[in-house]
Amino acid sequence: MLAGKLPQLEAALAGLETLDPQSLAARIAKAGDRWPGARPTAEPANSAFDPPPLPPSYHLLAADGSQIHPDRHAGALFYLINIGSLHLVAGSGAAPQTHTRPALFHEPADLYDEFGGLIPNELIDGRRDAAELGELARLAQATAGEPSLALLDNGLILWLVLQVRDQPKRAVDEILRRYLGHLRELRDLGAAVAGVIDRPRHANVASLAHLGELPLESVDDASLKASPYLGLTDRALFDRQLAHGQRSAVFIHGSPVNRDFDKAGHQVHFYYLKTAGDTVLRVEIPVWVANNPRLLGLTQAAILADSAATDGFPYALARAHELAVIGQAERTQLESMLADALLRHGLPARPSTKAAAKRWLTGRRRHRV
Amino acid sequence: MTQDLPLIGRVTRCSLRGFVGALRLPEPDMPAFGALCSAEAQQGASQVIGLIYDIAIQDDEFARQIASAEGVSAEQIADHQANRQIPIEFSALAVGYRQGATFHYSLPAQPPLSLAPIYALPATDVVGFTRQLSFLPLILSAGGLPSDELLAAALQGAARARPEAERRAFLVEAGRACSRLLTDDLGRLDNLLQALRPQVSRP
Repeated sequence: MLAGKLPQLEAALAGLETLDPQSLAARIAKAGDRWPGARPTAEPANSAFDPPPLPPSYHLLAADGSQIHPDRHAGALFYLINIGSLHLVAGSGAAPQTHTRPALFHEPADLYDEFGGLIPNELIDGRRDAAELGELARLAQATAGEPSLALLDNGLILWLVLQVRDQPKRAVDEILRRYLGHLRELRDLGAAVAGVIDRPRHANVASLAHLGELPLESVDDASLKASPYLGLTDRALFDRQLAHGQRSAVFIHGSPVNRDFDKAGHQVHFYYLKTAGDTVLRVEIPVWVANNPRLLGLTQAAILADSAATDGFPYALARAHELAVIGQAERTQLESMLADALLRHGLPARPSTKAAAKRWLTGRRRHRV
Repeated sequence: MTQDLPLIGRVTRCSLRGFVGALRLPEPDMPAFGALCSAEAQQGASQVIGLIYDIAIQDDEFARQIASAEGVSAEQIADHQANRQIPIEFSALAVGYRQGATFHYSLPAQPPLSLAPIYALPATDVVGFTRQLSFLPLILSAGGLPSDELLAAALQGAARARPEAERRAFLVEAGRACSRLLTDDLGRLDNLLQALRPQVSRP
């Protein structure tokens, strides 16, 4: 039923090209900052671009992170961020360099916020995101002057900033400052940066296509919410629009957080890319990649090439994830090492009574009444 | 003494009859079928002598995906072979043990412990251990193994560890020892001698 609306959505996308850009801009302005639709760029919204040829040799850098959140009921209070990364020189035939960088945080300054509360998990996730980008910037130091693409297994927008209302603002600002700083380092080193989202659920381009169909005077919250394309994703749309290897036009990310990125010179853009196995990836890039044809082309061609053997998702990111992931066995081992260390310092590390009770109860047979 | 020897892996599981070791690629010294190795037991008081009879490389979902895919790059293959933590597992049959400077040709009193280091047996020890052929019955009687091929590979390896002038005499002596042990199975003996022959006939 929904799929039946796809041709209509495609026509709406094509219709954007018949609109006067000023008139579309007026509708976007009227839709307001909270409207989540994509903003167009100079590229026609329904265009499709073949991948450019790849340089004979280029660097592919990928980083991913995982974390152990603090557990009030565990024997020791800590959190851990583990970053896995891979530096592959495409065309060299050599095995890539791999790195795993765990960081353990246990000092009171790491664990408690300015009001004495335990650090929220969202802040830890934000620190992980910044650490992933930091690792890419570190790897890119060795590739300056050569074609390089740094990949993240996520969008480029720091979602933590959207949750700022619930979080201590100073800590969020510090993470955002660090994150944008790493983007600047990567830009200054001449590397392309891309955040890759597999199976994206976004509908920002569909929202834009719908907005294009509304007369300016009827653009309001009610009409925007009454889109006939609700439930359809950009992925479904571009699955029809793109042939294997092609990318869509570049759009500007509509998130309010993008204002912070824009102010720092890293406004987030995105496009969709069809890779092996008809996978449609969403690729998020900063404005300085979007506006540089050589860097933009490298993101498309290198992500496409690296995804050929892994069913459409980049190999380098799959490996970075594998290097980053913390298994249950490793987690248990770490907890027991920490408990040992505490005991050596004369501090008994016992799980809370609640955690201990849960452990006793899980092994027990239930008595029937 | 053992620190200078090439480490080929660590024990992951074991019994008195043998042990299984694992190593990560790319170790410079890959174990080979029919090679002798030793693993520490009894807190270093003895070394179990093992004969490698199987080498297996485990796979996983990711390796299977890459193996069956088109467009795999040379770097991705090199990554799998050099970086991914897929252990090579090798199995060794216990064929004797050493206490001090003396080799014993029977099962050890205790097996090695988990993660005990496994070293390749250096050529001088291979010659020393195979000076007596009393370990042959342990190989011939081992069930569920390609024992004839294993024995031939072990004897050829022991011959190669000797000076060239002594190799033929060693293999002829080993062939005679096998004949005495396999008098009731001439077909098997014939196969074994065939397997040793190319080495025997080498000038």
